[in-house]
Amino acid sequence: MEYALVTGASRGIGRAVAERLAQDGMPVVINYKSNATAAEETKKAIEEAGGVCELLPFDTSDPKAIEAAVEQWQEKHPDDYVSVLVNNAGIRQDNILVFMTDEQWHSVLDTTLNGFFYLTRRVMKDMMTHRNGRIVNVVSLSGLKGMPGQTNYSAAKAAVIGATKALAQEVAPRKVTVNAVAPGFIATDMTKELDEGELKKLIPVGRFGKPEEVASLVSFLASKEAAYITGQVVSINGGLYT
Amino acid sequence: MTRQEIEDKVKNFLVEELEFDEENIKPEARLKEDIGVDSLDFVDIVVIVEKTFGFKIVAEEMKTIKTFGQFCDYIETKIQA
Repeated sequence: MEYALVTGASRGIGRAVAERLAQDGMPVVINYKSNATAAEETKKAIEEAGGVCELLPFDTSDPKAIEAAVEQWQEKHPDDYVSVLVNNAGIRQDNILVFMTDEQWHSVLDTTLNGFFYLTRRVMKDMMTHRNGRIVNVVSLSGLKGMPGQTNYSAAKAAVIGATKALAQEVAPRKVTVNAVAPGFIATDMTKELDEGELKKLIPVGRFGKPEEVASLVSFLASKEAAYITGQVVSINGGLYT
Repeated sequence: MTRQEIEDKVKNFLVEELEFDEENIKPEARLKEDIGVDSLDFVDIVVIVEKTFGFKIVAEEMKTIKTFGQFCDYIETKIQA
């Protein structure tokens, strides 16, 4: 059986993506790092809606933790594989560059960029041998445009965009697609401290996006219908940046 | 498992699963240049070898392997280890 694995899926965009893929009919594996309560809530919501869901906690910046968790999952699922991977886990540690600590720089790159590398490398082999796979990387407007105060975050997301384009060409002959979605301002915990009233004046659509709207885009890119779309970065930002 | 059995199994999946030309698969044939194995094919080969022979291929150890015969030697060594 084919599974979808969504990282950072206990809250926000990741949760909406997990719920949507379950609604699409895929059994979903929810990864989270530390918020077990929120992850359980997501699992419960999926199951109450008739979906199939399991939890797989690990820190995406820790290659040993990834190896152990995926190994354990595979032992429990000898006839299954992950055919849809949504690399969504990410953190923000904003600061202007001159005051940015080594820890702020590295933690953001470790979770977003290194996490993408470690986990995608781990699950890609099965996708390639099955001649079927969808990787969707959740990047950001910040990785396309660059945002002041986010040199670490912009660098990490821009790096994932580059990796998306390279990997897409690498694995296309094995019927694995690799795309990225680049959300602008989406109403989640990550943006709740922002001044929505002021910022929405800059957005042509006039509001923040909803996590469900991003999930809808991810759902399409993860579907069989999207087989001819690969190496793309699709913006979902209400027209804020084109 | 005898050496011949190893060769037959590897040859079989190169021909059956990956559709390489059987005529080109000889002990002295170079995997890339003569048989036509590319880096994506190696992913399939690694998975099949690990399943068939029950050991993990170490990428570093594969670096010196150039021919079909050397690849079978490697499998033979790993099985006996």
